Amino acid sequence: MVGEEHVSMIPAAPSEVWSAEVNGQNQEVLAPSNAILLDVLRDKAGCLGVKRGCDMGTCGCCTVLIDGEPRLSCLTMAQDAAGCSITTVEGLADGAHLAPIQQCFADHGGSQCGFCTPGFLITSQALLTKNSNPTDKEVACAIEGNLCRCTGYQQIIESIQAAAAIHRGESESARPASDAHPDPHPSGPEEPTMPPGHAR
Amino acid sequence: MLMPPFELHRPSTVEEACSLAAKLIESGQDFDWIAGGTDLIPNYKWHINTKPHVISLAGIDGVSTISMNEIGCMARLHDIAEGGDAHPLVAEAASKVASSLIRRNATLGGNLCLDTRCFWYNQAEEWRSSIDWCHKCDCGTGSDCRVIPNQNELCVATYQGDVAPTLMVLDATVHLIGPNGARSVLLHDFYQLDGMTRNILQPGEFMLKITLPEDVEDWTGSYRKLRVRESWDFPEAGAAAAWKKGDRSTLRVATTALESIPRRHDEEVANSNGDVKAICDAIYKSTKPVNNTALPPRYRRNMIKVLVKRACEE
Repeated sequence: MVGEEHVSMIPAAPSEVWSAEVNGQNQEVLAPSNAILLDVLRDKAGCLGVKRGCDMGTCGCCTVLIDGEPRLSCLTMAQDAAGCSITTVEGLADGAHLAPIQQCFADHGGSQCGFCTPGFLITSQALLTKNSNPTDKEVACAIEGNLCRCTGYQQIIESIQAAAAIHRGESESARPASDAHPDPHPSGPEEPTMPPGHAR
Repeated sequence: MLMPPFELHRPSTVEEACSLAAKLIESGQDFDWIAGGTDLIPNYKWHINTKPHVISLAGIDGVSTISMNEIGCMARLHDIAEGGDAHPLVAEAASKVASSLIRRNATLGGNLCLDTRCFWYNQAEEWRSSIDWCHKCDCGTGSDCRVIPNQNELCVATYQGDVAPTLMVLDATVHLIGPNGARSVLLHDFYQLDGMTRNILQPGEFMLKITLPEDVEDWTGSYRKLRVRESWDFPEAGAAAAWKKGDRSTLRVATTALESIPRRHDEEVANSNGDVKAICDAIYKSTKPVNNTALPPRYRRNMIKVLVKRACEE
């Protein structure tokens, strides 16, 4: 067959020390030179909340915050993010207490199958940090790089707007007023069951 | 999809990058440049023309400047689109590239040197092996072109960058640098009609920056793009037009995503005496898209008339 020699049998990539601050903890791991950030975060740093979706920048499931900016970890070389402060979805919550954006996604049906949710949470958190009073159009523009096949996006936009109201201080509770099932543990368990960033 | 094995080099100065490239060429080792990686990394994951070495330009300081007259190769499209420092026409085109997340990685240099695309080429390795490869992905082994069979002269993969036509109508100059020194050419002379060679970059050379003429602030224009999804997609056809404010006789038009290179249509504009309809018809006659992107070529060819007309509207 033409081109049978196409698979190049070159040796494996050399490994290098990779260090960065992941969810507030310093991580120093040995990563191959050709590794993308997604692989290092999932396989070496244990952040399984970073999802591998399309692996080509289309779906946005692998979005993480690099120095506060949402970036696609599947299209970022790990070495380019070395030394940066990286936040994955595990780093959004404060111990056992969900961040407002997470609680709003749960309350307003922003998450259905949940696979795209980590990417949406990170992208919307970055939007709300920059602009706590976005219009629906600004929200739609911010999440244009994230794909969701379940919700039809309406509930996601509602969740982000509800979280924006909390960020602005207009609404204290993350829950809608008509909630029929109040949280039995409104303050959450006293100790987090697992350190953030190490949930497996 | 696993990354193929390669060694990533991260030089910190332009000189270091050039000497690294010279060293690799001397030892006969193939390599690629990587800027933002939004096109190269997916291609590598699909094992499309992978190389054992990759030189990253991300660690080089001072090559991401953005101003009205000069943009560095590593300037991110997000910063060009939203920073407010670049020419409004360039910012408009940059804001239409892919999605906001991809624009935060994508760079101007990468967008201008974008690999050409074709639905027989941008596929996983197993898929390409099942069709016995194509002319582009299997350079030199004699595979036939799948788009236009029985010709092995020209690769017809489509250039699908957005920013190039807008820089072309603004008369941009590209500055290249490599182991054999620096040189500058006009952007519309930078591209070469072949989907495989694509541009005049020599081995080891890379694009350092683009510069725009002194009076570029007096120029205005617009960029129109046809794509499948409005939120993000490669252009299926694109047209940029620019003219000096208050002087329509200076009109320039360029198109993209219709063939292997973006093209400036000086002849068509000169022969039309400023009549936009005549320009549209002349460009329609001179372009011949092939069936290798998402939309059918006849639709793309018909739409270029509409896009040029809208881009020329004041």
